[in-house]
Amino acid sequence: MENVRILFIDDETAFLDTIIKRMKKRGFDPDRASNGKDGLAILEKKPIDVVVSDIRMPGMDGIEVLCEVKKRYPTTEVILLTGHATSQDGVAGIKEGAFDYLSKPIEFDHLVSKIRQAFDKILRNEEKKGEAKFRVKMEQQMIATKRLASLGTLAAGVAHEINNPLAIINESAGWMKLILEKKELADIPRRADFEMALNKIDNAVNRARIITHQLLGIVRKDNAILSEVNAREFLDEIIQMAGVEIKNKDIEIIKRIDDTLTTVWIDPHQVRQVLINLVTNAVHATAAGGKIFLTLEESGEDILFIIKDTGEGIPRENLEKIFEPFFTTKSPGNGTGLGLFIIRGIIEKLGGKIDVDSRVGVGTSFCITFPKRLKLKTNL
Amino acid sequence: MIKIPARILVVDDEVDFAEMLSLRLKEVGEIVISVHNGQDCLKTLEEKDNIDVVILDIKMPGMDGIEVLKEIKKKFPLMEVIMLTGHGSTETAVEGMKLGAYDYLMKPADFSDLAAKLEGARKRKDEHQERIRMAELKLLLRKTGGM
Repeated sequence: MENVRILFIDDETAFLDTIIKRMKKRGFDPDRASNGKDGLAILEKKPIDVVVSDIRMPGMDGIEVLCEVKKRYPTTEVILLTGHATSQDGVAGIKEGAFDYLSKPIEFDHLVSKIRQAFDKILRNEEKKGEAKFRVKMEQQMIATKRLASLGTLAAGVAHEINNPLAIINESAGWMKLILEKKELADIPRRADFEMALNKIDNAVNRARIITHQLLGIVRKDNAILSEVNAREFLDEIIQMAGVEIKNKDIEIIKRIDDTLTTVWIDPHQVRQVLINLVTNAVHATAAGGKIFLTLEESGEDILFIIKDTGEGIPRENLEKIFEPFFTTKSPGNGTGLGLFIIRGIIEKLGGKIDVDSRVGVGTSFCITFPKRLKLKTNL
Repeated sequence: MIKIPARILVVDDEVDFAEMLSLRLKEVGEIVISVHNGQDCLKTLEEKDNIDVVILDIKMPGMDGIEVLKEIKKKFPLMEVIMLTGHGSTETAVEGMKLGAYDYLMKPADFSDLAAKLEGARKRKDEHQERIRMAELKLLLRKTGGM
């Protein structure tokens, strides 16, 4: 059966009977209505691709039907039938947006071919719409990528320029602290105030230092240094390094490794940095007594590191933004919003990818995929 | 134990930074000279033969840190150099290490890190000098027929 959804509207029952019968013989399964109102009622209930309507009908005429259809269902095409030799009505219909008109008595094959043409037009429009959507999406992605690239360069430049004055502040405050330690200054008034302020400067410099060094890390061109790593030991090491916070919060870490994976070829230094960061994030998101699953498994030509927590989850509206630079839900001083941005950068540089899946109140799962074929590269 | 002060040459075009770092190092008992470009660095090393370590900024107008380092190693092979970089790229710093720098630090540097590296650099220089002295002594003894 052809999959064009057709509706015939005509007040001549005999004509409808004949045409529907012949359409069915051709493999179509059209709907029918004997007036405009009934026709519109059908359209309301089910989607129709092509409406074939008589023009001269009592009550609503074909042109009115056409206008209503075009208003409510802009993608539906309308073919008008005129029982009179004059083409006036048909032309008026085309002006109102009809696909075409046919004069009665109609030649059946001609009608079928017109319906097909109308349906083709719908398909073409849909395709165009899809293409346009795709193009818009691609363009948006390209703009985002370009923006991130130039942002990275700019950020690194700014970070570099900030490091110099920061170093001056650092040395000045450090020098003042040294002076305060001198015996002859042991009894100066308001000593505690000076020390407090100098410590604040120290902390602020440290905060800024972490940010600038992270920013510089974005464009750092360190090459991957691959080596064969014992999978079990590697995960143990990560759990150990994130250990203090895990213990403090009474969180259980459950480690799972595919039996087939005794060793993996990765850049241990960079992958370690990524995993510790993600595990630490998971610990922050998980309430005391919660669980974190750290999984390493094989999947076809890939190896997967999965970090899954039973934490608060990430709201859908934030999920797309978490890899953007400076996006953070933490309070100032507790997070720069660069962690995941840098993580993704590192993973992509190593030829991998990172996906996130999260449900509020259930937990979040980050999945990092690295191709196993890295092994081949290093063996060559 | 009395600490023997290190004689340090700070080279940085950021005048304020060089000044403050010098003051801080002097405060902990080191002897410090600071200059603000490569030429002055080389000139100082030629005039004063008792410098232990050079703290050298990489990014400077005119002669950059890497060029200065090459010159230092050519003219004063035993001189130890610690590179300072405000830049995230470790590549330049690593290049410096390949050219014979003792180590590198990123600005703003942690003072205790810097102190540890200064100590290490100085130790290496002393060991080098000691080895040379021993070799010279052996040579001298052999020549005079003492051994």
